[in-house]
This record gives sequence, C-alpha cells and structure tokens, in this order.
Amino acid sequence: MTKRKDDDLWTGATGGLEDFFDAARAEAPLPSGDFMARIEAQALAAQPAPTAPKSAPGLLRQVLETIGGWPGMAGLATACAVGVWMGVSPPASISPYIGTDAAEIDSFGVDPLSGFELALMEG
Amino acid sequence: MPFDAMSDKSDDDLLAAYASGDAAAARALTARLGPRVFAHAMRMLGNRAEAEDVAQDALLKLWRIAPDWREGEAKVTTWLYRVTANLCIDRMRKARSGPALDAIPEPVDTAPSAAAGLQAQARAEALQDALNQLPERQRQAVILRHIEGLANPEIAQIMDIGPRAVESLTARGKRMLEALLSGRRDELGFEDDDEAQG
Repeated sequence: MTKRKDDDLWTGATGGLEDFFDAARAEAPLPSGDFMARIEAQALAAQPAPTAPKSAPGLLRQVLETIGGWPGMAGLATACAVGVWMGVSPPASISPYIGTDAAEIDSFGVDPLSGFELALMEG
Repeated sequence: MPFDAMSDKSDDDLLAAYASGDAAAARALTARLGPRVFAHAMRMLGNRAEAEDVAQDALLKLWRIAPDWREGEAKVTTWLYRVTANLCIDRMRKARSGPALDAIPEPVDTAPSAAAGLQAQARAEALQDALNQLPERQRQAVILRHIEGLANPEIAQIMDIGPRAVESLTARGKRMLEALLSGRRDELGFEDDDEAQG
C-alpha cells in the first residue's frame, strides 16, 4: 500500500507512525489451521441444502400439456358436448339411418368383416 | 482479491452460490474471508482466542443471512467489517465491567530492541499495544484506514457515521498513537535505521 500524502505521520521522520503501520501490514495476524478448519466445517454445516430439482408435474398438468393446454381442453369438451347432443337430438340429415333397418353398417358403404374373412376365421 | 479456487468470482457471486448449496463456494468463501475477518478482530481485540470467537460469530451471521442477501446493496466485506467490529466492541464493553482472564490483551514483549530480523514484528506488537489503549471507535477507524487500507467513504459506511467524523476519529487516534509510541522509538530499533540512513 502506498503512503498517503494527507497522513502527516511524523512527516519524514524514521520511526513515524507509517513505519508502524507498514510493520502491522507486513505482520498481519494469521489464523491457525485449526480455526480455518473449524470455520469451514461451520460454513458447510450452516449451508442451505442444494436447491431440489423441480418435481414432476401432476397428472392433470401432464394431460393438459398433451392436448395443448386449456384451449385444447376446451375443444375436447365442446366435441364431447356436440357428440352427446347429436345422440339426444340427431339432425334430420342422419336420422334416417338411426333406429331403422336401413342403419345397417354396410349402408354406410363400409364392410369391416367380409364373409370371406369370417370363413377364414371359422376355418 | 485474494487468490483462491474461485478467484474469478466476486464475493456476491460466491455468496449466491453458497446459498444455493454449492459446497465449493462455502470453502472458497471461508478461505477468502476467514483470514480477513480474523485479522480485523485480532487488531481490534489484541487477543487471539477472543478474535477467533468473534470471527466465527461474524461468519456464522454471514452464512445465515446468505439466502436473503440482496446482491449489489452492500459489499460483503463492508458488511463483515461492520458486524465484526460491533461484536468486538460488545466484547470490549463487557470486559470493561469485569474482564475475564482470557479477555485481557496478550502481553506484548517489550524486551529491549528485538533482534534485527524481528524488528517488524516488534513494531507491529508495539503498535497493537498502543491500539489497545485507544478508545474503541478511534481504534476501529485507525485500523480500517491505516492498516486495512480502506477509503473514508467505506469506513463511514462501516461505522455508520459521516466521512468528516471518520477523519476526526482517525486524526485523534493517530495523535494518541504518536504520543504512546514516540517514547519507544529507540527500543524498537529506529535509532539503528537513522544511523543506517545517515
């Protein structure tokens, strides 16, 4: 450390206060190894536990994320409501197919299990 | 900043890492701040056992406040100097009302002129002996300014006073030190220095 001009410590004289301060800085009191070990142990003991990793999200959160959050959930709910409503009060355009003999599955042009496949299954 | 395993990190950064549970930060902070806090307490109290107790208490306060430390608000060392000095002053005041044996400053070896190689040590001890006789606030100001080498504004922050009050305390402290030490120049080998220079 440099001497300060404004100190005026027995200016110019050998044995001035600045010499004592120099000696004090050079002979700084050093802590013992025991003390250093003690404060290190104390620092580790007082230390907060490492920050825990974020816990896995709950089931609802996972479902929401899969279907695209709350907007996705709203779309799904709307689709369900429309499905129920169509079951209760079907529109006139599809009512001929419901509750009549004409509502056979092949009337929609679909044949999920043909006679050939049934024959194969029966051996 | 002293060299340590994480010397590229500031005290603030290390304290934040400490608070998040980083054990390496705990060791680096201890190595960096422990000797400094101990030295300050030692100079304030002049007694090793007392200084160790105070340094340990001051550091424990730092570890406890670490999770709530607000970065940039105060320097870690400024805060530590303040806490350490306050703990020292508390002890000095308690000791005054009935000093325990281990609170009495260690006797300074005033044997006539220490051997040449030990002159610096003898002078440091003589200064400590004189510092022990200063009023506590003067002692604190002189130590912070002239031994720790801090600037007046930081000392003012540590002592919670204005910069002018710091100047006044250091000036009075130095005058008293001069009076206490002037009679010991010869025994501390300054006569030899004068002859060597002449």
